[in-house]
Amino acid sequence: MKILIADDEPLARSRLRRIIEDMGHHDIVGEATNGKEVLVQSGELKPDLILLDIRMPQMDGLEAALHLSNLDNPPAIIFTTAFSEHALAAFGSHAVDYVLKPIRRERLEQAIQKARKVNRAQLVELGQNDETDHSRTHISAQISGNIRLVPIEDIFYFQAEQKYTTVRYTDGEVLIDESLKSLEEEFGDRFVRIHRNALVAKAYMDALEKLPSGQWVVKLRGLNGALEVSRRHMTGIRKLLKQLSS
Amino acid sequence: MNESNQSPLPDGDAAPDAADDFFLPDFCNVRMVFAVVVIAEMLAIVLTLAPLERAANRWEDLSIISLFIQWVALISSAVLCLARSWLRKLSDTAAATASYLLLLTTTSLISEATYWAAHWLFLGPNLPQGWHTDFLISNIGICAIVSAIVLRYFYIQHQYTRNLEAKSQARIQALQSRIRPHFLFNSLNTIASLTTTQPELAEEATIDLADLFRGTLANASYEVQLKQEWNLARRYLHIEKLRLGQRLQVEWAVDMVPMDALIPQLTIQPLVENAIYHGIEHIPEGGTITIAGTIENGAKKENRLITITITNPVPGYTPPKERASNKMAQENIRMRLAAYYGAKGKLLAKKVDAMYELTLQFPYITARK
Repeated sequence: MKILIADDEPLARSRLRRIIEDMGHHDIVGEATNGKEVLVQSGELKPDLILLDIRMPQMDGLEAALHLSNLDNPPAIIFTTAFSEHALAAFGSHAVDYVLKPIRRERLEQAIQKARKVNRAQLVELGQNDETDHSRTHISAQISGNIRLVPIEDIFYFQAEQKYTTVRYTDGEVLIDESLKSLEEEFGDRFVRIHRNALVAKAYMDALEKLPSGQWVVKLRGLNGALEVSRRHMTGIRKLLKQLSS
Repeated sequence: MNESNQSPLPDGDAAPDAADDFFLPDFCNVRMVFAVVVIAEMLAIVLTLAPLERAANRWEDLSIISLFIQWVALISSAVLCLARSWLRKLSDTAAATASYLLLLTTTSLISEATYWAAHWLFLGPNLPQGWHTDFLISNIGICAIVSAIVLRYFYIQHQYTRNLEAKSQARIQALQSRIRPHFLFNSLNTIASLTTTQPELAEEATIDLADLFRGTLANASYEVQLKQEWNLARRYLHIEKLRLGQRLQVEWAVDMVPMDALIPQLTIQPLVENAIYHGIEHIPEGGTITIAGTIENGAKKENRLITITITNPVPGYTPPKERASNKMAQENIRMRLAAYYGAKGKLLAKKVDAMYELTLQFPYITARK
């Protein structure tokens, strides 16, 4: 089995490596030190299994797993963790496999034997069960088998089309298949609904303008053109802009 | 004579809920009102007994004085009850001054009303010359003195209970501030990894860990010498250095600080732990934690303040969780400093650019009586 090891601590990685090498018949294809590296390496190396530490800088293990689950053929995941009260309780109830550090050899062997793919629903629920605020730091889209990551702070707006949602950000556009409703729930502190089909980043909102037709629109900083505001959301947007400008 | 409404009742009634951190008790409380009535009556009796000349009819005097004092007492209670939500927004000094003025004003108004009622209703012009002014002045005088005493009483009572609470809180908080389980298990993992490859380092780490736990398990509610806190922090950083490798750099600049200064136990190490847990660990390339200390110049030792700053870089993005726990550790230490040093013990946090800076301040004390 091709295995990728992900942990930000060098000694933790080397111990895992030693244990797996002792087992034989497995191939360690790479080591990653944070969630972003995991995504890059799993795209290049196509591992069958990732041993994924939860607490890592820049992007943690839970979020990396969430992005991986968007792939058509995601690798199996075993979480490794030292201690996290909430996560531990959540793991048990969601049939996601995890091993506790310091890792016991037999326990890891057992976990690898029955390693399975984790599905998105399990991961989402895991995040929600985690009690702490766990919104993603990136949005991911699958582009020809690879993962394209978009940092949340680069996003201008989400716009719902018929089947997909367009994500417009500083470097272009990607399509994702998440609903505006779930995005709004997850990122409600950063984005605001201005229309049935649009969710806009508060940080980029610049001005509210009225077109000759009587239609109100919002202008975004760093972006040409404007987005329609529905009458239902007008009061809220006005209030928000006043708050932002004060 | 409204002073009677300030019931010097012990804490139970005066402080209906512990979270209510205001020195004036709640006068809307039924038990409080009852206390006000009882004490107003006691004051009425004192005033009835006080005159030197032999009174014609003490019972009649008592009933009139009681009637008046109860009016003043209950109306003043009502005023303070209504004004309480406004008063508590003010600083302690402003609130005390405002309630003092409220009490004086209420008393004057009621005295004035009483005089005119008496004048128009029954006595009319029979009232002796100058009685109006006398009546007003003596009421305000009594009110001014007794109100001042009673407000002062409330204030001291409040400080006292708050201090007691802080001390017992400090004890609990000290227990809670012990090392994170997260750290324990990660350290054990590090040691497990080192045992086969670098046994000497594994041995060192085990001993550091033992010292660290010994330090945190013993008498967690006392002050210790700063030297001990430094040692604890150094042992802690030594273990973290093994775990994080090049990502963790530490700079010490604490030569200026007297090592015999007393400091509540487990003050420095938890803050250093936070600097790693919320700072370094979230940055892929790591960074430097700076621990620096200075002491003020001054003639008298206790008047010199020791300042310790702990600085760490913070990640450019917001890590998704754990902010709450950071606040908790800081709050915990802030409370303990306040319990030991009052207003002289401080913990300030500020973020400048990509650096997080904690400043710890406390007086230089080497021995407790």
